[in-house]
Amino acid sequence: MGIKGLTKLLADNAPKAMKEQKFESYFGRKIAIDASMSIYQFLIVVGRSGTEMLTNEAGEVTSHLQGMFTRTIRLLEAGIKPVYVFDGKPPDLKKQELAKRYSKRADATEDLSDALEAGNKEDIEKFSKRTVKVTKQHNDDCKKLLRLMGVPVIEAPSEAEAECAALCKADKVYAVASEDMDSLTFGAPRFLRHLMDPSSKKIPVMEFEVSKVLEELNLTMDQFIDLCILSGCDYCDSIRGIGGQTALKLIRQHGSIEHILENINKERYQIPDDWPYQEARRLFKEPSVFSTDEQLELKWTAPDEEGLISFLVNENGFNSDRITKAIEKIKAAKNKSSQGRLESFFKPVVGTSVPVKRKETTEKAEKGTANKKAKAGGGKKKK
Amino acid sequence: MLELRLVQGSLLKKVLESIKDLVNDANFDCSATGFSLQAMDSSHVALVALLLRSEGFEHYRCDRNLSMGMNLGNMAKMLKCAGNDDIITMKADDGSDTVTFMFESPTQDKISDFEMKLMDIDSEHLGIPEAEYHAIVRMPSSEFARICKDLSSIGDTVVISVTKEGVKFSTRGDIGTANVVCRQNTTVDKPEDATIVEMNEPVSLTFALRYLNSFTKATPLSNMVTISLSSELPVVVEYKIAEMGYIRFYLAPKIEDDDEDNKP
Repeated sequence: MGIKGLTKLLADNAPKAMKEQKFESYFGRKIAIDASMSIYQFLIVVGRSGTEMLTNEAGEVTSHLQGMFTRTIRLLEAGIKPVYVFDGKPPDLKKQELAKRYSKRADATEDLSDALEAGNKEDIEKFSKRTVKVTKQHNDDCKKLLRLMGVPVIEAPSEAEAECAALCKADKVYAVASEDMDSLTFGAPRFLRHLMDPSSKKIPVMEFEVSKVLEELNLTMDQFIDLCILSGCDYCDSIRGIGGQTALKLIRQHGSIEHILENINKERYQIPDDWPYQEARRLFKEPSVFSTDEQLELKWTAPDEEGLISFLVNENGFNSDRITKAIEKIKAAKNKSSQGRLESFFKPVVGTSVPVKRKETTEKAEKGTANKKAKAGGGKKKK
Repeated sequence: MLELRLVQGSLLKKVLESIKDLVNDANFDCSATGFSLQAMDSSHVALVALLLRSEGFEHYRCDRNLSMGMNLGNMAKMLKCAGNDDIITMKADDGSDTVTFMFESPTQDKISDFEMKLMDIDSEHLGIPEAEYHAIVRMPSSEFARICKDLSSIGDTVVISVTKEGVKFSTRGDIGTANVVCRQNTTVDKPEDATIVEMNEPVSLTFALRYLNSFTKATPLSNMVTISLSSELPVVVEYKIAEMGYIRFYLAPKIEDDDEDNKP
């Protein structure tokens, strides 16, 4: 999923591109969320014990609804305006990756039945998590739920992450929230991780800015995409023996995959036959998304109370008291979202003072990672 | 090298008490002009701007512009250890990662040193343009604090409207509604009891009372409060700090019916 090892690569080589932010600080912001990823997470974690999951009377799984409902309310209560983007048709190149996942799932199903026979609880839990698949039914349920909640839903022409990134580029949303680092490769100007994590985990939101990533790595966007392809993406295999660090070194040295291929030691590194890196690059650069002229309606409306009760309580066996209370929360949150942000009035300026505390020393102490290419020149850039 | 000596130490104590609940961590900026701070609350709705001019200090030495990141809660804890009549001196060396607060009792028979660790704070500095406000209200700070406190027991938000007659604070909640009107009143014995309304255009804006109540923690700093309002700007609530500077709070208004806005 996503780009292999990119988080670590950025943490080591572009620490300034990532910033921890408080969940509350996104209040009033419109955020595009990769829905499929979230649903998948909900199916894995929400209300699971062993192979048992939350179900309605008919025995259909409802974990995704529970998860989607509570997390979305949490976002709304914080004054965040979420837009959920669902996957459309996967690009042809991803089919290989999907087939791989399918076979992994099949393996896991076998392992699960073995584990069930053996009665090994840990294994049962482990393998049943691996058999999780997001079906069309799950997606449709969630879309229905979100529409009833008054939250906008977008069905992407192809990849949800690409559409999220496009929305952010077009300034329709403030940032993209996903757990998949692909979003950066698609060029989402601002990308958030851990936004959807449960509050109980107390993980701060990690904000990435693609412009800073490029600045810190000293790469162009095209080179960054090549770096991601070399590190390993969903669309094609990577070269054996080249991971993130080597890829970064090679890109810095040669500038593009073409030049790397010309100069690389072919004995040492096995380049896959028919390596479709150009195609992958095209998918990242020109993914299939709605064009900016197409009017996507992003409207946050009042929740449909009756609809929610009939869908969640009557059809899916949720507790009616809890849903009524939750609806009250949505309504209260609606009121809260009218609070303006200071940034819409005052613009940030560059500070001039120099911090007393030396940043370099603390960074080294904190990270402990060898940051060999410390930037030359001491000019402290404070934003 | 930084050394600031403030005879009226209680001032700094009061300043900290007034902002520590709104902002957790902030950078104090020191320059030849003075000791200042600008910080937003975590949800970026309110901003506090503090200025203590160098002339207000008995001794002010600041060799180069410095920015010191402090946890305001911890700083308040340390300043609480100073007596109300104590003289407070702040010291920091170049390149050091601590700041020292020295408290001297008025009789000079007790001297305490508190050293606090500084922190790295990555904060955004907002440019606040000079603006002509549609309406400026000056009133006794205790009166304003009282109104905010009273109204917050009824509702969550307050509508502040300024007309020729005066300034009106209104709220509504589950139990009912409340309106407080303060008329222009300059015929008072003491100038600090006056209510003065300067108005170019009538304005009416809605604010969250939670924040206004937090601002009124600065009431001990000044007898008067100045509230500046414009229909397209955040409200400014200013408390003057005698002969030294000011503490200003900015609060973004609530926007009615924001469905049409296109800001991401």
